[in-house]
Amino acid sequence: MGVDFDVILEGLMTALEPMNLFWIALGGFLGTVVGMLPGLGPATAIALLIPITFGMDPVSALVLMAAIYYGAMYGGSRSSILLNTPGDGSAIAATFDGYPMAQKGQAGQALAISAIASLIGGLIAVVGFIMLAKPLASFALRFGPAEYFLLMIFTLSAIVALSKGAMVKGFISMTIGLLISTMGIDLQSGVHRFTFHLPELSEGIDFLIVIIGIYAVGEVMFNYIGIDKPRGKKKEVGKIWITKDQWKRSKWPIIRSAPLGFLIGVLPGAGGAIASMISYTTERQISKKPEEFGKGAIEGLAAPESSNNAASVGAFIPLLTMGIPGSGTTAVILGAVVMLGIKPGPLLFENDPELVWTFINSMFIGNIFLVILNILLVGLLVKILDTPAKILYPLILVLAFIGTYTLSYSPIDFTFLLIFGLLGLAMKLLSFPIAPLILAVIVGSDMEQNFRKSIVGADSALSIITMSPITIVLTLLTLLSLFYPMILGWFKKRKLNNLPK
Amino acid sequence: MKKLLTYIGLSSLLILGGCSSGGSGAEAEQFPTKPIELVAPATPGGGWDATARAIQKILKDEELVEGNINVVNKPGGSGEVGWQYLKGKDAHSLAINSSLLITNNLLGQSELSYEDFTPLAVLTTEWISIAVANDSPFADAKQLMEQLKEDPSSIKIALAPGLGNNDHLSFVQAAKEYGVDVSKLNILIYESGGDVVTALLGGHVDVATMSISESKEQHLAGKFKVISVSSAERLEGLEEVPTWQEQGVDMVFPHWRGILGPPDMTEEEIAYYDKAIGDMVETEAWTELMKNNEWELFYKNSAESAEFLKEQTQMYDTLLSESGLTD
Amino acid sequence: MYRLILPLIFFLLGAGFLISTFNLPKARLGDPYGPIYFPAILGVLLVVLSIIYFIEEWKQRGDKFPELELLLKGRTPFLLISTLVISLIYAFLFERVGFLISTIFFLGGLLFLINGRKKWMTNIIVAVSFSVITWYSFAVLLKVSLP
Repeated sequence: MGVDFDVILEGLMTALEPMNLFWIALGGFLGTVVGMLPGLGPATAIALLIPITFGMDPVSALVLMAAIYYGAMYGGSRSSILLNTPGDGSAIAATFDGYPMAQKGQAGQALAISAIASLIGGLIAVVGFIMLAKPLASFALRFGPAEYFLLMIFTLSAIVALSKGAMVKGFISMTIGLLISTMGIDLQSGVHRFTFHLPELSEGIDFLIVIIGIYAVGEVMFNYIGIDKPRGKKKEVGKIWITKDQWKRSKWPIIRSAPLGFLIGVLPGAGGAIASMISYTTERQISKKPEEFGKGAIEGLAAPESSNNAASVGAFIPLLTMGIPGSGTTAVILGAVVMLGIKPGPLLFENDPELVWTFINSMFIGNIFLVILNILLVGLLVKILDTPAKILYPLILVLAFIGTYTLSYSPIDFTFLLIFGLLGLAMKLLSFPIAPLILAVIVGSDMEQNFRKSIVGADSALSIITMSPITIVLTLLTLLSLFYPMILGWFKKRKLNNLPK
Repeated sequence: MKKLLTYIGLSSLLILGGCSSGGSGAEAEQFPTKPIELVAPATPGGGWDATARAIQKILKDEELVEGNINVVNKPGGSGEVGWQYLKGKDAHSLAINSSLLITNNLLGQSELSYEDFTPLAVLTTEWISIAVANDSPFADAKQLMEQLKEDPSSIKIALAPGLGNNDHLSFVQAAKEYGVDVSKLNILIYESGGDVVTALLGGHVDVATMSISESKEQHLAGKFKVISVSSAERLEGLEEVPTWQEQGVDMVFPHWRGILGPPDMTEEEIAYYDKAIGDMVETEAWTELMKNNEWELFYKNSAESAEFLKEQTQMYDTLLSESGLTD
Repeated sequence: MYRLILPLIFFLLGAGFLISTFNLPKARLGDPYGPIYFPAILGVLLVVLSIIYFIEEWKQRGDKFPELELLLKGRTPFLLISTLVISLIYAFLFERVGFLISTIFFLGGLLFLINGRKKWMTNIIVAVSFSVITWYSFAVLLKVSLP
């Protein structure tokens, strides 16, 4: 695909029309808000807005919906950082170091760096979109069941490997997550597994309910411990701008994570959660101070933030070049734009270049708008920390319940929410790592289904490893992520032995 | 005590406020006496929800029903939760339905059947297509079926999102007619139509069966080829693709959507909806909606729908047992 | 010795899960055991992990178990149980009396419980205003279908 700059410029002009600027701003703002609320993610928000878009110009509708999507990537980490309650799967990695930063009195800096990282990640991804959309789309097609299966195995093993020193707990956590993911109809056979004859369970338990339960409800319950202790001095929130040193530390992680997240975002079905977790574990493994990760290392927040925003941009590539939605949110967007008479597919770039380029340029503008909005909001958001805990926690509980209701419209799920809340409490209390469980719930069912699809017609289960160059690379990465600490230790030992006594 | 009083005072104020806004304005006993509720048995964003919201908008904009009309989402159990909910409601509630109402029951996943409801209308249909990769050795459906007859497990067939759906059963019916041993087919289930398209484009499967709306753009762009459609006539925009009937299979297979009312509706109520829905499908907005979604008008009024659902139930019963999914 | 309870729970969970996988219906098409392999492997995995975990904990069986004490101290157990009870009542009432009223009572109840009776004024104001604001923004602005 030759890049035609005239068309790009024309798209930019359309994107800059006041009406479109208004939609970008509105979408970005809405996205930030829904991203912050537990459960209410971009997919739900966009779905709810579909009736409103019926009367809109298709370009504006697409611009608005996309702004909600990446706006939610900005918003999602706000609650991760401040309250340890991620709003969505892609915001989980932001709790790892974002929340410790806030506890160390650096809430302002954490919020600022995550907005900046999101901006840079988003911008790099938009440039990537312009240059590489078509070749990447065909690369993504090479991911078949075997490739997806191994990608998911790799992500899981990378996350479990994070729980250094408590590997058994990490594996138990992952296994329980996988157990949860087996509930519901088994796609390949149509058999109902562990649904207890409840039709509400036939599609399994929504992973968002698990996230809200374990993080939000679990966090509130965990904080019941010692809730009556008189609060110490007012919590320090720190400056709302980052220091030079912090920038130096996070600069490269942000730049490295953007292309990584972008690539993973392009793969249909992978998405922001996997992108941000892989970026986080990668940064930790190549860091010179891995021991600071999980204790408020700024690069541990910057990397996943850059990555998940880049992934949200990448997710539009399969949608616009092939008409294939790469994530739950883009699937909803696809449904909505089809209603408006747009036909995303291989012909969209040729038939409607103005729409495509207006849309791509709107992502530029939108990201810049969002970083301004989010940095302005920092001052307001840190006030949440001033809210007395005894009032804040009941409010979080109410939001958790409403968020759950918007996912399934059934109060039966309130019971599951409570069960996962108790599970979250127990895990926090006994210091079980939570991320392996959540990630396992997110990818578990896809992982199993992809495995079963990949062995259809294969000689043996092991032959899928050597099926393609991609599978070989993914297998090596998996082994590396599990045994890297061991290899590293061995090298260190050898170095020590080689030193003259 | 004071606290309690304030509490009661505030709550009763709110209750009163809630009531006055919810009260109805109609004084006569004419139907409808309160807002109509349209149940989408799915989460927002899916096909059923989109259909429900489009109907809501058209009925409202064209003033085809008096009073307000609201969409309620009741997802779960492939429609089961929503229809179960509808069953306990009065004539002011309606739900979107499809052949899943029939197949859920036949597959033993639901107690409900169409006889538990008042079928009000069948609205639209989508047609189902069979697609293969561009470099596929099969130029048409006949060649594909001959190969399957020889070795039913030699070909990977993709569909979404579950066994026993229309994409699956239409393929089964066609294969059956050719004498293929359909219980030995190698079927890979994907989560969504988009995933099926990806799998075929990436060469991970040999054949895919999916809605026209999912395959048409790819076919027109030359990314893969559609070799058969389940309609009676060739389709607009896909004139070069033969129907099943032209390829020796006597089959027309619609993938329809309709509207269902609760059980025990009065003649008057049924007539009311027959009129409103009958008028709705004539509107320009409805034509536009169908065109954008690649749907075709398949309108049947209440009486015709009841008859149609009965025929469909028999057909699905046979097909499901032939496919090996039921005894 | 309390330490050993948790590994035992995991063991029972894994074993129970494994047994229940054998009762899963078999697939009618393709490999009849297709839907069973994966859950069965998970069951075995959990059993094995729980045994390793048991051994790890056994080595420190004499140590204190401060986590449990933390949980049982002060009014934490009372708060936990009452939260569960209020939440279950909320789930029961939610679709029966509607979002607004049930939420006001739910939030009010939690606030009285956690924030204390002395601050009843704040509790009521927060409960009512927060419920109304969320109801307005979800039901009216976002058009979520709330009961």
